[in-house]
Amino acid sequence: MLHTEREYSKLIAGDFYTHHMEPGPDDRTMILNMGPQHPSTHGVLRIVIEIDGEYILRAEPVLGYLHRMQEKMGELKTYLQYMPNMGRVDYLHALAWNWAYVGAVERLGGIEVPERAQYVRVITTELNRISSHLLWWGAFLLDLGAFTPILYAFDDREKILDLLQIPTGSRLTLCYFRPGGVVNDLTKDFIDGLREFIPHMRSRLPMYKGLVTDNIILRKRVEGVGIITEETCRRYGATGPVVRGSGLAYDVRRAEPYSVYDKFDFEIPTDKECDAMGRYNVRVAEIEQSLRIIEQALDAMPDGPHMVKGAPKVKWKAPAGESYFAVEGARGKIGVHVVSDGSNTPYRVKLRAPGFCNMSLFAEVARGVLIADAVAILGSLDLVIPELDR
Amino acid sequence: MNSDWFKGLNLISVSKMSPEKTGLAYSVYLGPDHLLDAARRLYDLGCFIEDISVVDAADGFMVVYHFDHFTSPGRIALRVLAPHDKPEVSTISEVFSGANWHERECHDFFGVSFTGHPNMTPLLMPDDAGFHPLLKEDGKRKRMSEFISPGDVIVKSPEFDAIFAPAEPEEGSASDDKVAAKAGADKTAGSSSEA
Repeated sequence: MLHTEREYSKLIAGDFYTHHMEPGPDDRTMILNMGPQHPSTHGVLRIVIEIDGEYILRAEPVLGYLHRMQEKMGELKTYLQYMPNMGRVDYLHALAWNWAYVGAVERLGGIEVPERAQYVRVITTELNRISSHLLWWGAFLLDLGAFTPILYAFDDREKILDLLQIPTGSRLTLCYFRPGGVVNDLTKDFIDGLREFIPHMRSRLPMYKGLVTDNIILRKRVEGVGIITEETCRRYGATGPVVRGSGLAYDVRRAEPYSVYDKFDFEIPTDKECDAMGRYNVRVAEIEQSLRIIEQALDAMPDGPHMVKGAPKVKWKAPAGESYFAVEGARGKIGVHVVSDGSNTPYRVKLRAPGFCNMSLFAEVARGVLIADAVAILGSLDLVIPELDR
Repeated sequence: MNSDWFKGLNLISVSKMSPEKTGLAYSVYLGPDHLLDAARRLYDLGCFIEDISVVDAADGFMVVYHFDHFTSPGRIALRVLAPHDKPEVSTISEVFSGANWHERECHDFFGVSFTGHPNMTPLLMPDDAGFHPLLKEDGKRKRMSEFISPGDVIVKSPEFDAIFAPAEPEEGSASDDKVAAKAGADKTAGSSSEA
């Protein structure tokens, strides 16, 4: 028997609307869906929130709208056939996922990668990281109501995509690495273009700072918003700019050096404020650090083959065993755990998506904040939904 | 990383691994009853949780917890075996909050339940899916010894040797024996740690 109007409305709305979220004890609060079509959720993330006026009492992200069962596909395809999936897990930093997967396969098969291919990987991955940060920068500000920055960001990002198109052949869902090297060597066009791009990108950074970073409207929106402490990062396994924005210099390129990253001189930007502005500052500073790495890699890149002799072919059988390989993606630590039973398809592929772990702390951090601040927090986490849902 | 943190736990084995070959620093097999205890100790050591994954092997569901450390890196794989007929492991979400989503994901994909979990509802799969996509078909499951390297064993119990023993001819009786052996090992280890 329905005693109150409230119980009656709950019956009409059904669990689809509230998604397992029981309404609070009284009528002062309201349950509201943010997404799956909300512009600030970038795609199809849904968050059920219970609000009291403009304040969020509880938030519960509802995932799975872009779930494609990438891990099952890994078990059905051969080691090489699975490569194109990697560019589709996180389409903004596709090469980091390429690297995490080939890294795990190379570790499993004991495959050597030629020195030149290592440098090519560093150059292209760092370039891809800049393009990812630029898109985040534009989209984050768009969420906060600033329309102009995304146009500048796309202008610069376009130059990167034009460059990456030369060796990889595609612009977004890149599939460029293979176990044992990379598909194509870097051409003179690419290297000349990149040498021109580096000073261009550097010249834009002061403009970005003047236009956006020092802007009082942005600062009022993000300073002191979304405090994430180091301890919270640890409990949730948050990595990348989120943990670095909480003052901890944790970067897989330093903590667990892979490839030739130990040969480069670069800083790990951190910010002690732990707020959305801190995470913003870290990402913007990382653009400059990536440029530094690219410059050093271009100077030090040796000649030689870009693919090892006898690199695995499509039906290659991996030796039985397991391996875990982690790389630093634009959003944090990407980990791939491959288990092989000795056949030509993996027995199990586990993808550790940094966005998934970073997002899992949202419910805790969003408690008690304004809805507008929740948008700023979501943006500062730099979410790519296909990576969350896999 | 101090390697004494696991003392007094119901261990099946502790191995030092080669990070170049496997990406792991330590691999720890644990009796399921001491999982929460181990998670607390790792939390006190300052570790963070990387992910939770499940491998559907013939021996049971191998639930793998990966931990790492922000300031003194070295990946620890904590492994717990859950039998196919009763796939239950206790939750560690009260210690590592991030485990909440990882455990829900494992339940979606394999049907492994995490007892004590605050919200064991589907995360990535639809509510009405009614199946677990990553389960292996009967007969296609491989034994753990086929893909796990024992590494440099520091501590081990007889149960660990059973995992790497040659396959027994009859599948049904072998698994029954193993469950019995496991129960026995749990009991003895539990009593010795109390004493």
